Formats: sequence, C-alpha cells, structure tokens
Amino acid sequence: MTPFDSAAARLRSGLAVVGLLLVACKSAPAPRPETDSTTADAGTVAVAASSMPDPAVKPASPVPARPLATTTPMQVVKLATPRPIVSLRLAFRAGSIDDPPGKEGLTALTTRLLVEGGTKTYSSAQLLDVLYPLAGEIDASTDKELSVISGRVHKDKLDAFLKVFTEVLLDPRFDEKELERLKTAALNSIKNRLRSENDEALGKVTLDALLYAGHPYGHYVGGTVKGLTSITMADVKAHWKNVMTQDRLIIGLAGPVDVKLENAVKAAAKKLPEKGVAAVTLPPAPGPLGQTLIVKKDTASTAGSFGFTYSLRRGDPDFFAVALALSYLGEHRQMHGVLFTELREKRGLNYGTYAYAEHFEQEGWSSISRVNIPRSTQESTLWLRPVEPQNAMFATRGAVHYLSELLKAPPPADKLDTARGFLIGYTRIWEQTDPRRLGWLIDDLLYGTPGHLEKYRAALAKLTPEEVQAAAARHLDVANLNFVFVTKDAEGLAQAVKARMPSPITYPSPKAPDVLETDKVIAEVPLPTPSTQVRVIDAATVMEQ
Amino acid sequence: MLALLAAVALTAAAPGGLPFQTKTTTLKNGLTVVRVPFASPGLLAWYSVVRVGSRNEVEAGHTGFAHFFEHIMFKGTKAYPEGASDAVLGKLGFAGNAYTTDDVTVYHAAGPSSGLEQLIEIEADRFKNLEYGEATFQTEAKAVLGEYNKNAANPLLKIEETMLATAFKSHTYRHTTLGFLDDIKEMPSRYEYSKQFFKRWYTPDNVMIFVVGDFDEKKLMAAIEKHYGSWAGSAATVEIPKEGAQAAARTASLTWGSPTLPRHLVYWKVPAGTFTGTDTAVQLVVNEYVAGKTSPLYKSLVLEKQLVEAVEPDYGVHRDPYLFGVFTVLKEEGNRAQVDAAVLAAVKELSTGTVDAARLKSIQDHLRYEMIMQLETPDAIANALSRTAGILGSPDALDAIMRKIAAVKPADVQAYARKHLVDENRTTLVFEAPPAGGAR
Repeated sequence: MTPFDSAAARLRSGLAVVGLLLVACKSAPAPRPETDSTTADAGTVAVAASSMPDPAVKPASPVPARPLATTTPMQVVKLATPRPIVSLRLAFRAGSIDDPPGKEGLTALTTRLLVEGGTKTYSSAQLLDVLYPLAGEIDASTDKELSVISGRVHKDKLDAFLKVFTEVLLDPRFDEKELERLKTAALNSIKNRLRSENDEALGKVTLDALLYAGHPYGHYVGGTVKGLTSITMADVKAHWKNVMTQDRLIIGLAGPVDVKLENAVKAAAKKLPEKGVAAVTLPPAPGPLGQTLIVKKDTASTAGSFGFTYSLRRGDPDFFAVALALSYLGEHRQMHGVLFTELREKRGLNYGTYAYAEHFEQEGWSSISRVNIPRSTQESTLWLRPVEPQNAMFATRGAVHYLSELLKAPPPADKLDTARGFLIGYTRIWEQTDPRRLGWLIDDLLYGTPGHLEKYRAALAKLTPEEVQAAAARHLDVANLNFVFVTKDAEGLAQAVKARMPSPITYPSPKAPDVLETDKVIAEVPLPTPSTQVRVIDAATVMEQ
Repeated sequence: MLALLAAVALTAAAPGGLPFQTKTTTLKNGLTVVRVPFASPGLLAWYSVVRVGSRNEVEAGHTGFAHFFEHIMFKGTKAYPEGASDAVLGKLGFAGNAYTTDDVTVYHAAGPSSGLEQLIEIEADRFKNLEYGEATFQTEAKAVLGEYNKNAANPLLKIEETMLATAFKSHTYRHTTLGFLDDIKEMPSRYEYSKQFFKRWYTPDNVMIFVVGDFDEKKLMAAIEKHYGSWAGSAATVEIPKEGAQAAARTASLTWGSPTLPRHLVYWKVPAGTFTGTDTAVQLVVNEYVAGKTSPLYKSLVLEKQLVEAVEPDYGVHRDPYLFGVFTVLKEEGNRAQVDAAVLAAVKELSTGTVDAARLKSIQDHLRYEMIMQLETPDAIANALSRTAGILGSPDALDAIMRKIAAVKPADVQAYARKHLVDENRTTLVFEAPPAGGAR
C-alpha cells in the first residue's frame, strides 16, 4: 500500500490525535522544518540573459530485462528468533506485471479481496471479528513482480490464527459486495487520493509511467480507472488460480518457528494449484532519455521526480559504490545529504531533496524503504519535494548541478565518511524487526544476493572517494535524466524548460557569498531536455487507462 | 556517580501491563531518565520529551510557537554550529528527528549503541547551550510558513482548525499545533520572545529522557550525569484558560474548492487524560466499541450499506479535557444524514442499551496484544512511553493505563457514556466537496 491508499493514515495525519496504541505514527504536526522560499528583494544574482543551446534529441536507450533468480516451488525461508510474535510472509511471484491488458489493477485487487473479503466460513465482518481478539494481522501488499500475503500474531494465539490465515489463502469467499467495495476504494485512491491529494505521489507514479511507457511496469500497481472498472468476479477468480500457485510461492516464517509450524503452512500451501499461467517474460524497458512531462494540477507548489532506467542492480559489482554515492548525495529524508544541505538548509528551497540507486517506497511513517519490492529492471531517481513555482527551474537545476558535481570529482573524504558511517549504522535499522528480516531474506533470494546487507556494510567500510565517483560516473549521467513535474502553471513551466534561459533566484534573507557564487553556476545549468521533448498532461488523465 | 542521583524507582512488568521493565532515575536538577533494556543487539533509541506543546501558547499572537521552537532546536550551539551535529550523528549512524503535539515536543534518535556517549554529549549541549542568530531565526520562521502552506493543500488541516475552533472557545486547544496563520506570519519578529521561550520550558525538570535498547547502564548514567548534571533552571508556570461547560450541541460547516470525498465528523468533549483514574482506559475501550473494526457501526456503514469509505474513532490522550469523535469519509454527499443518524444511534446505544460483555472482553484482548505486537523495536517502545509520559507527567503512565484497560467493566463504559457522550458536549462538522473526482 502506498501512503495515499491508507485511509487510516490519512485520517490520523489530519487530526493530531494519535492514541496510545498508534505508537508508530508521528504524523501529528510535521516532524522537521519545511522550508519556504518566499521571494523577496535580497540579492538577485545578475546573469546573462541569453538562451542555452538546445540539445539534440537523444534516442531512447532500452534496458534489457534481467530476470530475478528462479526459486523452487514453495521454497521455505525460515528465521528462528527469540521474539514472542510469529511472522508469516507468503510471497507469490506475481505482481502488476501479471495484470492482463485491460484489467490493470487485478493483482492488487485480488490480494486485497483475499485478505479483506471473507472466507468460506467467515464473511468479511466475521473475519474481522475472529481476528480481533487475537490482534492477529493479515495483510497484503502488491508490487510489480511480487505480492505478499503477510500474517503476524502472538505465539499464544498461533493455532487459532493459523486456521483463519489458511482459510484466507485457500478458501476465499469471493463475495460480490466486497469486490464492489474494494473496487470503489481502489478507484477512489486514484481519482481522489492520487490525483487530488498527494502531488508527490502523483509525480512518482507519473515518472514510472514515463520511464516504462508500454512496458508491464508502466501502470500503477493499484491499477487504472479503465482497468479497475472492467474487472469482474470471474476475472478475480481466474487470476487467483492463475498466479497464486505453488510454483510461484516462497514461504517465509520468522519468530518462534518450529517444524510443526513449517509443516502446517506447507500442508496448506500444497492445496494451492501447482501451476497456473506461465510467468511474464519482461521486455526491455524503453529507456527514454531527456524527456520532460508536466502534470497540470491546481496546486500551490511544484513537485518534481527525475530519473532514468539503468542496468545496475543489487548483486552487481558497482552497486554498493553507486548506492553509497547516492546516499551521500541524498539519503531519503535524512539531514546530512548534499542535496538536503545545499537546497534546503542553505537555500531554503523546499522540505528536502533526495537520491536513489533503486526503486524506493517508504514504509509507513518511517523513513526506510519497504522490503519485497524486487524488480528485474531498476531506475535511479531524484525526488525534489515541492518548491514554490517560481523557483522550480532553479531548484531542478540545483539538483542536477550537485549530481553532476558528484560525477566529475571524488566527494570530499570527510563528507563521504559521514555517509558511510551513517549507512553502517542505519542499515541495521533496515533489518530490525522479524518481518523486515524475513523480507530481506526473500529479496536476497530473488536478487541472488545472500547476506546483502552484511556485504554492503563490509563494502562501505572500504570504498574510497575515487572508487565511489568512478562507479557513479560509470552508471549515472545527467544527460539521461527525465523530468516529471506536478504544477499549476504547466504551460508556463513548459515554456521555461523550452526557452532554456538562465533562472536566477532571490532570497528573503541574507545568504553566504559562496552560496551566491554557486547560485550563478546553478542558474545556468542546462537541462538535458530538447525543446521538442516537453509535454503537458492533465492530472485528471493520470492512470485513466 | 550514582550518589548524586536523587531517586531510583523500578517498575516491574505486571499482568495487563507492559511486557518489559523500566528503570527511572531523577537527577538532582529534576531531569528524569528512564531506561528500558531491550534485546536489540548493538542498537538503541534515545527520546527526549519536553512538556511543552501548543497547549502552553497562552499569549495572544504566539500560537504555533512550540512547534516553531522545535525547528529552532536544530540550529546549533557554539560547540556544534548548525549542521555540525547532523554530520557527527549521521556519521555515527543515528537517524533523528522531532515532532510537536498539543502537549509535548519530542526529539528522537535511533542508531548504534556504540555512539551513545557522543549522542548524549551533543543532545545535552543543545538543550543547555542552544544559540542562534536572528537571520537564522527569521529564515526558519519563513520555513514554518512554508510548512503551513504545504499542509493547507490537504483538506485535513482546515478540518482540524474548524473542529477545534468550534469545540473550544477559551482553552488553547482551540488552535492547532501549527498555530493560527496570522501568528505564523508574525514569527520572524519574535526573536527575543524565542529566547524567553527556551528559558521557560527547556529546563531539566520539564524534560524526560527515555533510553531503550542495548546499553551499558553504568556507562549510560555516568555519561548522562556528566553532560546533563550541570543543566540548571526550572520550568515556568502559566495559567491555561479553562474551557467552560458547553451548553448545547454545536455544528460547523466547511466547503472545499476542489473535488474530493465529503467527510462527516461527530465529536464530544471528553475528560483529561489520566493514568491514576479510569477515564483514559475507558475512553480507549469506547473508541473500539463505538467505531472500531468490529463495531456494528463499522460493519453497517462500511461493509453492509457501503455508505462510507472509512469510519474511524478519533481520540488522543491529552493533558486537559479534549475530544473523542467518529470521523467518516462519505462516498457521496447524499449519505450524510443517514451516517449522522447511525453515529448518534451507536453512541446512544452505549448509554441506554446493554454493554456487550463479550465484545468488551474481545476489545481488552485486542488492545493488550496489539500493544505487545507494536512494541517490537526500541524506537517504537521509546516513542510510546515518552509521548504518554510527557502528556501525563509520569513514565509509568502507559503501563498503568494498559492495566486499567484490562480492568474495565461494562458498567464503567456505560457510566462514562452517560456522563460525557451527551448532546450538549457534541460538535459536528459538515465537510462538503464537489463530487467530480468521486468514483460513486
């Protein structure tokens, strides 16, 4: 589930009244500063008002798919820990890439119906009733290539829980009324949430659509309006049998697990169909370069997501070095990254700007990534949090400038040491709970990277600034960046991108001389989009079909 | 070193309470330090809760200041100028942040146990020696305005503002933690006041520290004594305006300009949070009983009639009397009257009907196991403990409330509803929006 899908999270974030029991929710008033850059009169930097040369159109550079590792039917991943909570993760190698054409959203809707829609014994309401006193959790998450049915319960309540969990998996009720309810919710999450209430998610989903146009990754995991609308119960039933099969299943167990539990889960899984439809063979990602797509929406600020697909992935020799390079540039929602320091702390342009070596989705209210979103093809991206519209060109150029600096020269040793020290500690938070550790074990299986985080920490200790820069330069290129913006004056921004004029900035409070000097350079950073490669779309059309 | 410590208390885990032990020490300067050893090899969480929030903002024109000041706390000291501590703590592997609520401000970090001593030094330094110039202060004030503007894009800020302003006439809970927009705009001119604010509330007797995870008790306490021992000062007192009794039900309405789903909120004034009395424990049960996922209201509105996309109980423990309510997201405007009637009937049923003992038992079990399951990391434990302790003034508050939940009887629920969930305590908010984006 993405943030804009979660009704509960939305409600909580609106009213700063988080109960005792919602311990993880720090939503109330915003965590840390949100900077603002109201334009005032101080210190305009004079720049030559002439247009920069229009770059030639770069042909797309398709990225061949490299399938994830094969697994054996019902392969078991087990992690015995001293915790009192049992965690189950049944990971099916099925995702939105398995949505049949015209039925976009079917995989996510099918898994949602399984976990919420009731079983042969229990209606949806009865399912809530039976799980409630156990505080048993059954949930589903779907991504492009993997869907996880997860369960969590205290060991005192395991037997009762397992009976319900097994029914959810094997004997879904397929209640028409529940399908209707969940379909409506899925449609609302596109029409109201994605398009109206979350500019940043809208930007990310649109960047996905731009990078993977025509590819099975191209549509939103939650579906499209047209796809969801056409889904019938017959589709769901067929899809369930087609993709939730033994040959696609990885069984993850953690906590106080024993042979009895393993056998019980395996025995249940054996009742699933052995095989369904053949796995999707992914085509190369189209690999557009230098495109700009502007989503027009009535909103006060301008949100940005930039990036390109590339062949680098976990397990490749350069992955750790590039991951460190981009963490140094801007680890997700941390305060020491170059982009955060330069664009927010020194210049007050926005709440933060971050950089990613692989697809990233924030887990709930934390600042760490979800596990089990493995992808055959990856992208490297930059996330520019909303800026004031008049600063959009400057802030974008700022992000490009600092990426470009990273590719030109080795990062300063002390700053790289901060990034490496941070990751050596922070990666341990990534695997702090049983469900997450289980998630990492499953991801390691799929990427063929056993002990990935341990190896990452070992590599971090040794990588030199020169190695980091050299690896980054081998895989990243500012000329390959594609840009997505969400803004009100889309035509105005499109004109600005096409005009290729310098974009000087002014600040409401004094700034250090070195900042103003660098600003002169940033104001003239050329963006790689040729003037013919700028498009505007309306937010109301995003994920329509 | 321990001779300097004024008091040591040990709270044992008890049936119905929290599944771990806490150890509390109060230093001579009044600083409370709570430790929770937890099996998280090499990792810990560090939380500092200051008992100041938007509730303390009694002076006209200064709403939003507690939250603004939370930002200022990241602006550095002589020893660690702005950005320096981020770099040092980052290099050690700590991820940190802060948040402000109506009643408390919480600063938090999680990371490797090996960096603890340096973390303590840096945290103590900013609580004792915060120093910032007026230009920095003004830039950050602008940042808070930016934050307000960003949040204002979502209808929920306006919904909260309207609900609070309608339900409260005197108490400082009538404004949100972000504050009134006009006051936020005035923030750049409040530099001198900000220094007073720091002196008033950032004092050892107004702060509690929570350390959860893997640490060496002796080394920890020695480092705390070394770095925090010299911290002096005592918290100011301010008169928080009392909210008078509400005479009749109130209604407010709000219309949104762009397409989204309509909402309907029905709220009641409820008593202040307590861990010595039973009100909070009962209210937490009432949340679930009235609008939780196994409530007849949820089943009827969400699953059977499908009139709403979501229904949720809305309540948070507060230091003074606050609100409990039912928040619904309507599928369409036409469902409003029916949803309103259903919510009122569900609450009335609590006062006039029979409280189902089996459901109550199920709720108690759920709350107990849910709590255990959520407290799985040092960060989660420290957050739950510190927030509750900050609001209610005792590190034992969360444990006490959990035990009281286990002891709630049907008659307690009914008596509570009869006393508090009455018409004259009610505020209703009608939030309308154009339907163009709705999918039925």
